[in-house]
Amino acid sequence: MLKFPALIAPENDGILGRQIAFFAAFILPIYKLLELPSILARFTGGDLLLPALLQYLFQTGVLLALLFAASRSETPLFERLEKKLGKWTAPVYLFYVLYFLFAAVLPLLDLDKFVYAAFYDTSPTFFSFIFFFLISAYVCARGIKTLGRIADLSLFLFLVPFVSLLVMSLVEADASNLLPIFQHRFEHTVSAFTYTTPHFSDAILLLPLIGNLRYQKGDCKKIALGYGLGGVFTILFLGVFYGVYSTIAAREHYAFAKIAQYFPALTVIGRIDLLLVYLLCIVLFIYTATPLHFATDLTTRVCGGKRRVWFSAAFNLGALLFTLFCNQHYNAIYTLFGEYLFPVFWVFADLLPLALLLFTLKTTKKKEREYA
Amino acid sequence: MAKTHTCIVNTLSFNLQKNLQTLKKLLPSEDILTYEFETEDKVSCALVYADGMVNKELLGELIAKPLSTLILKNEGGRDKTNEQKIQTTARFPELKTAETFEDILPEILDGNTLLLVDKIATGFIAGAKLLPVRAVIEPPTDIAVKGPREGFIEDVKTNMALVRKRLKTPDLRFQTIKVGRRSDTAVAICWLQGTSSDKVKEEIVQKIQAIDIDNIPDSSYIAAFLAPRTHSVFRSVGTTEKPDIFTAKISEGRVGVLVDGSPIALTVPFLLTEDFQSSEDYFISPFMATIFRAMRFIALFVSIFLPAFYVSAQLFKMQLLPLGLMLTIASGVRELPLSPSMEMFVVLLLLEILKEASIRMPKYVGMSLSVVGALVLGETAVSAGFLSTPAIIVVALSGICLYTVPDFVETGSILRWVYLIVAGSLGPFGIVLLSTFLLVYLVSCDSYGTPLLAPFSPLIRGDLRDTIAKYGMESLSKRPVILRSKNKTRLSTAQKNTQETTQKNTQNGGETDA
Repeated sequence: MLKFPALIAPENDGILGRQIAFFAAFILPIYKLLELPSILARFTGGDLLLPALLQYLFQTGVLLALLFAASRSETPLFERLEKKLGKWTAPVYLFYVLYFLFAAVLPLLDLDKFVYAAFYDTSPTFFSFIFFFLISAYVCARGIKTLGRIADLSLFLFLVPFVSLLVMSLVEADASNLLPIFQHRFEHTVSAFTYTTPHFSDAILLLPLIGNLRYQKGDCKKIALGYGLGGVFTILFLGVFYGVYSTIAAREHYAFAKIAQYFPALTVIGRIDLLLVYLLCIVLFIYTATPLHFATDLTTRVCGGKRRVWFSAAFNLGALLFTLFCNQHYNAIYTLFGEYLFPVFWVFADLLPLALLLFTLKTTKKKEREYA
Repeated sequence: MAKTHTCIVNTLSFNLQKNLQTLKKLLPSEDILTYEFETEDKVSCALVYADGMVNKELLGELIAKPLSTLILKNEGGRDKTNEQKIQTTARFPELKTAETFEDILPEILDGNTLLLVDKIATGFIAGAKLLPVRAVIEPPTDIAVKGPREGFIEDVKTNMALVRKRLKTPDLRFQTIKVGRRSDTAVAICWLQGTSSDKVKEEIVQKIQAIDIDNIPDSSYIAAFLAPRTHSVFRSVGTTEKPDIFTAKISEGRVGVLVDGSPIALTVPFLLTEDFQSSEDYFISPFMATIFRAMRFIALFVSIFLPAFYVSAQLFKMQLLPLGLMLTIASGVRELPLSPSMEMFVVLLLLEILKEASIRMPKYVGMSLSVVGALVLGETAVSAGFLSTPAIIVVALSGICLYTVPDFVETGSILRWVYLIVAGSLGPFGIVLLSTFLLVYLVSCDSYGTPLLAPFSPLIRGDLRDTIAKYGMESLSKRPVILRSKNKTRLSTAQKNTQETTQKNTQNGGETDA
């Protein structure tokens, strides 16, 4: 077996419970505003809230389990895990590096399409999108602490434009479009549930953050509430989305960039709503870079905290090449992920983390003190 | 400090002429003058000083005149009686002795006067410094409608006095360090003991002591050495020309630096929100202060983003403009020879050139050049079909808006150019990408352990009370948490309670509690 250098936790690179809560509340929902509403509408029409709710309940369960494990000790979860797993930590981490690279695929392809839809009237070349990877590489080269601070900023970057867009879209929204509920068969809800699994695998995106958290009293509550708030934002948006577009909702891709365009004042003052969308895009860019960031972070940990910049560059170059060659096969990749590869998300994002937690749960506070 | 003078003989001799010869060798410059006189019993004395830096009248009255009537027991050798006699006769408040040239030379160069007496191997240094300094006036870069009008000047001693005048507490401490191999500039570090962080103060002292440069003409040199990131467009050291702002920042727990020869004082740690604060905000109603700050914030955004969005709207996303405005612009730019981005580039370049010229040009030609700039270049360029009116309006608005935040002008100007280039090549997508990059960069910037974007990131709720929103004094009872001040309370609880009671009474129609 390969021998890996000693694993280290990045120095002074902590994250706070509040920042993880903000990440869950204001950064995680952003990806769900892109293609998810039209996918859900395609499968379940006006019942689109139901699969979303089920997904949220499922993910909340996983998240609570992770938080329970994190709350067992003040020592960060990853440090405990590294102690428990010993020499197996490096392979496990590298396994998850692969998972995060895999999880980065759909957000990248969606962002690529979204950029052309929201930012350009004309048809730009693909090379315009390449510049995203420069920013992504820069984000990945930064530590978890930076991600935490961005989460703090996302309070302003997400909340203000999101609420404004939602209020502006309410003008055209008709809540009765969502009625009657349960008009579609349960199989459709199940199909929507499985198909949208890649969009909702949130707990695993919070794991690298929770794993670095030096737990303090009340952090669990904050993070769970944050995730709940993110869920409320998503459900609200889905409701307004179907309220506005109704039967044509399934064909309205990347609707959040245009959902507020029917606001009466915009005909006089221009598409000011686009400025709000652009503000939200900052959060979207961060979200899209997050799986690559975690991949970089875990690889750096495995390599003893060195060569972070190189890993960041390598992963982003790989992602760039992937997007370059696969953006023509968007539908095929989406179908592949939604219809066939969704169990991968269940296994890696939900089951394996829960299984790994069994190790850490054995470490009680008392045992830790004895160990110390 | 690294010494530049190599002394042939370091200690003073008992022979006055020999000492004067050595001094002449060490300080051969013509502005180092020697005035020789004798005591009543014909003992030779000499005053050595740098011309134009000393108060000659004072030297004559307090040294030359009393000594010329003095009778010294001319015994020479190691007898200290004469030294004591001279010290008591010369009625100088600042009189110290030095026995080596190494100690004497910096004093002469600093503007002090050396008194040498024959048969005495000790030099007497009189603090008769009289440097040409300008008056304490209102700084032109920081004018306040309400509030104090004093500004720092180029003399560090005067500046220290201006600070001391406002903080009459034994906790106010100064530590002076000489920096500059040739300039030997006095740099005074200023802090409030028990309030400022010792760690920050120590770090600053260490950084200043480590500076090895020949000349420090201005505090911006020191700022460059104190800045944690030297190649950043965002400054990480605060600057001010006003003692009231300086003392307010010191009182919050920051550490200040005064540099001899510079009217600009430095403060660290620095937060980006400081740029949006004006001294006046604290002298007017908190509501008005909040409105003004929000206005500055919006104006800064307009100034940086307006030219970029104008260009990207024309090139990539026309929906950003309302239809009517789009048609107006379309008719304005229809026959222009330049592309929108090139046109904006030219207008912005003109603005920067005019700005630069108006700062440097003599006042007499300023008016005529303004007319040439505004009318000839602007009006004629439009009527000649070289530039469009909307572009000129956009740049004019952007230029004016930038000056609402004077401390951010340099950074804002650079950012405006970068955004314009990005908008011209990538459109709004480029603008958002660049903004994301800047935000990530800014959140990861720290100034002496204090995040630059605090209290927004990391979010510190209590400190938000003096950022964009300005709360009343009773809400600012605590010092900013982010500065890690040892003394956290600014407004005493008793005072706070009194204010709250007064407020309640006022709300209840002025009835006082029994």
